Amino acid sequence: MFIIPKGKEVPLGCVTPAPVSEQPMMITGNWREYRPVLEPEKCDLCMNCVVFCPDACFQLDEAEEKVVLNEKYCKGCNICINECATDALTMAYELDFDDGVVRLEKPF
Amino acid sequence: MAREMMLSGCAAAAQAAKMAQVEVICSYPIRPYTAIMMELAKMVANGELDAEFVHGEGEHAQLSVVLGAAAAGARALTGSSGVGVTYAFETYSPIAGGRIPLQMMIADRALDPPGDFGSEHTDAMSCRDQGWLMGWAESPQEVFDNCLINYRVGEDHRVLLPQFVCQDGYFVSHIPGKVVLPEQSQVDEFLPPYALPHPLDPKRPVSHGPQIRPDQGTIMDLQRAQAMLDAPAVIREAIDDYNRIFGRNISPFLEEYMTEDAEIAFFIMGAHTMTARHAVNHLRSQGVKIGLVKLRFVRPWPTEDVAAALSKFKAVGVVETSTSYGSAMHGGNLLHEVRASLYELPQRPLTTSFMAGLGGEMVGLKDFYYMADILSKAVKEGKTRKTVYWVGFEAED
Repeated sequence: MFIIPKGKEVPLGCVTPAPVSEQPMMITGNWREYRPVLEPEKCDLCMNCVVFCPDACFQLDEAEEKVVLNEKYCKGCNICINECATDALTMAYELDFDDGVVRLEKPF
Repeated sequence: MAREMMLSGCAAAAQAAKMAQVEVICSYPIRPYTAIMMELAKMVANGELDAEFVHGEGEHAQLSVVLGAAAAGARALTGSSGVGVTYAFETYSPIAGGRIPLQMMIADRALDPPGDFGSEHTDAMSCRDQGWLMGWAESPQEVFDNCLINYRVGEDHRVLLPQFVCQDGYFVSHIPGKVVLPEQSQVDEFLPPYALPHPLDPKRPVSHGPQIRPDQGTIMDLQRAQAMLDAPAVIREAIDDYNRIFGRNISPFLEEYMTEDAEIAFFIMGAHTMTARHAVNHLRSQGVKIGLVKLRFVRPWPTEDVAAALSKFKAVGVVETSTSYGSAMHGGNLLHEVRASLYELPQRPLTTSFMAGLGGEMVGLKDFYYMADILSKAVKEGKTRKTVYWVGFEAED
């Protein structure tokens, strides 16, 4: 018999609830080396980051009229930084943050 | 009343699928397995079988169709031969990993080049490590038995694995043999309705086959490995029930013939077992102490059973009908598994293997006499001269 540690269980056949906008079983943000940092005061809601992010990490919060980054899925590709029309996004080294998540067992 | 009929392996497969009341069938033509689909198409057209009959545009599509059908809760059947089996290769791991217990019937055909249509086990054997149950039938009767037994074991919630039900092309698939067709009520008693614990259902939406993280992959692999470890007990239980309900006497993993006082033995599976058994009869009449062990399941491989059965002999000849180019033994696939099974024994029999029946060539009685002669010499000399003999092509011995 094998033991699967608590918290590491995978459902039979990896069948997951649907539809969902965020898949808690697919958090991959702890793979990244770089993190995009958003300065909200520079953002003019051009939406380039929302459109270009390959992992759909940026969402428009319509009520608050701001762009929100979901770091759980960001791989640090920096495409958003490249595409940002107002330089509101900058690249930062993940391990420079106290809460840096690179390769951590429990990223978030 | 159960009735006996003369059926080819393909016809027997179709009869078994009909009695298993398969609900979705997906076909694509390639000989020799295609005769199974011809039989099933007739049954559906005649109203004998209430099943959805879908034509795939290739083998990859076939497997994808039955994956969807079985995931949605339908008992599903497909099949193929030779390069058709390998063309669908990508689908085998997701089906097993998704724990969708559909059935694929394979009537072996040699892989190309260049378009050899004869029977050889390499097509199916190439797919053996994906987490599918897998075994060969010697006769149309065993094709019938194995279809029902595999559905029962694969669909058991302790297993939930797909199944390759294999038969040699032509020698089994197209040669009629006696098959006892049971009553539908017997089949219904043996095989409960298909009930997938994690089906696709509009009332309870789920995602099948999502992307997963690498660390989840380990666990899915582990779960698949555990299912394979749990399968032997379920196979024994299913075959006990099969024997009771159908009045049969099948042994789950290995069938032994004249092994009690045997010094040498053939280890073999599939169609050529019939010829090997006749060779054993003939050699016995000449005083050779020879027996035969027939393998019924390649996956799960019955390690302890093989060790226990073969430890009785002084020399064992593994008859290979598949290739494993450049491997440890430079022969077929079975010798690796046989030798690994014997490794822990304090006293191991001599083992050698015989490449025979490749490309679908007949393995005749004289070939088995040749193999027996080599085994007898090995016993006399206390060692095997070669690990692998290509039967009919060796300069010495």
